[in-house]
Amino acid sequence: MSEASGDQVGIQFRKVNKWFGSMHVLCDIDLDVASGEKVVVCGPSGSGKSTMIRCINHLEEYQSGSIVVDGIEVNNHKANIDRVRRRVGMVFQNFNLYPHLTILDNCTLAQRWVRGKSRAEANELAMHYLERVRIPDQAHKYPSQLSGGQQQRVAIARSLCMSPEIMLFDEPTSALDPELVREVLDTMAELAGEGMTMVCVTHEMGFARQVADRVIFMDQGSVIESAPPNEFFDNPREERTQRFLSQILH
Amino acid sequence: MIDWAYMWEAVPDLINGLGMTLLVSFLAIIFSLLAGAVGCALRVSSVKALNYLIAAYVEFIRGTPYLVQVFFVFYGLPSLGLKLSIFWSGVVALSIWASAFHIESFRAGLTSVSKDIRNASASLGLRAWHHGLFVVFPIAARSALPSTLNTVVSTIKNSAYLQAIGLVELTFVAVDRIAYEFRSIEMFLAICVIYLAVVLVVSALGHRLERRLDRPYVGR
Repeated sequence: MSEASGDQVGIQFRKVNKWFGSMHVLCDIDLDVASGEKVVVCGPSGSGKSTMIRCINHLEEYQSGSIVVDGIEVNNHKANIDRVRRRVGMVFQNFNLYPHLTILDNCTLAQRWVRGKSRAEANELAMHYLERVRIPDQAHKYPSQLSGGQQQRVAIARSLCMSPEIMLFDEPTSALDPELVREVLDTMAELAGEGMTMVCVTHEMGFARQVADRVIFMDQGSVIESAPPNEFFDNPREERTQRFLSQILH
Repeated sequence: MIDWAYMWEAVPDLINGLGMTLLVSFLAIIFSLLAGAVGCALRVSSVKALNYLIAAYVEFIRGTPYLVQVFFVFYGLPSLGLKLSIFWSGVVALSIWASAFHIESFRAGLTSVSKDIRNASASLGLRAWHHGLFVVFPIAARSALPSTLNTVVSTIKNSAYLQAIGLVELTFVAVDRIAYEFRSIEMFLAICVIYLAVVLVVSALGHRLERRLDRPYVGR
């Protein structure tokens, strides 16, 4: 287990608990993600993995414990939430692009209104990232004109335009047709290669093996196992992890 | 037989009436759209009491005859100490009626904005009002447009009821002439054509706007 070393800590969960009504969805989560580390989170549906990463940028609140991102406590203070969201980008299962804006405008809206950039500056950076995800030629189309894989790559570019230090991926390939999964995973792997801190909820175990520094298994709101990919896949310690892996690895 | 010469002769009078119809409708359309937007915001706000208040308002307006509402404003309000001229009674009654329908159209528009997209905006650091203005509003406006247009057209047509309180608009002019000269087929035919022409122009403008807003969503 690669423990975070000192001030390099990017994300720190300490005894985090969350309830939806009477349902205990996060139970005493302790987790450290070092700066530059790539963590893949897996687990059965309803295990709390999406809820867990959504707490990192305060899309979900938690009731007890603490989450610290780059030294900033994630709590209900607006200023803190803003600071955290400046550092943390997020990509969603359903892309969540703005349907009424072109691809280019999808990538510039937040740059212009959150960062106060001029249209020209924002366009330039947007094109830079659209080239990186290899769809600069689609810049003037609308999301509905793109395939799912292309839309998800736009969503990644849109996040990168805000120059995040940490990227969260919430099942980024689950809504894609199988033949489109590869292009999105390749984009993510490239990003990982460039040293981005990443937390990724996914069931793409090939991706986990290739990219992750650490794989985390969650079940019923708890972190059950956390290990480097080789150890995790070849010698899982926990019985629940073994059962889960035997179900998905065919 | 239809006396075309008589119809032609009445045109200047009818044009005067049309001027009033357009003025009162235009003001009512503007006021009702504004009131509809505010009403819709209150209808979906987090204050429960306001939600119910606006819902009750909508039910009341939709559930009572429009002509009764016009009489209520013109004959009823003065006894509550609010005396408006014929003109402003007309504008107010028409605005009250139309705003109730706009509230519902706008609310339907809002439901077409996916909740998930709020998360995308939040994760990008957009403020709530940026998100409202640049994301929710354009998406909601697009899906609210057809039914909003419907209400706008009805606002113009419903201005005809205002002849009942003595507003000298298009229908009033026609009915007035009929009372003296008994040429009902000529007058009613003439104003039907005029109303239809106005409505067709407004619909055409609306459809252009619709196509414009539609553009982003049309596939390849």
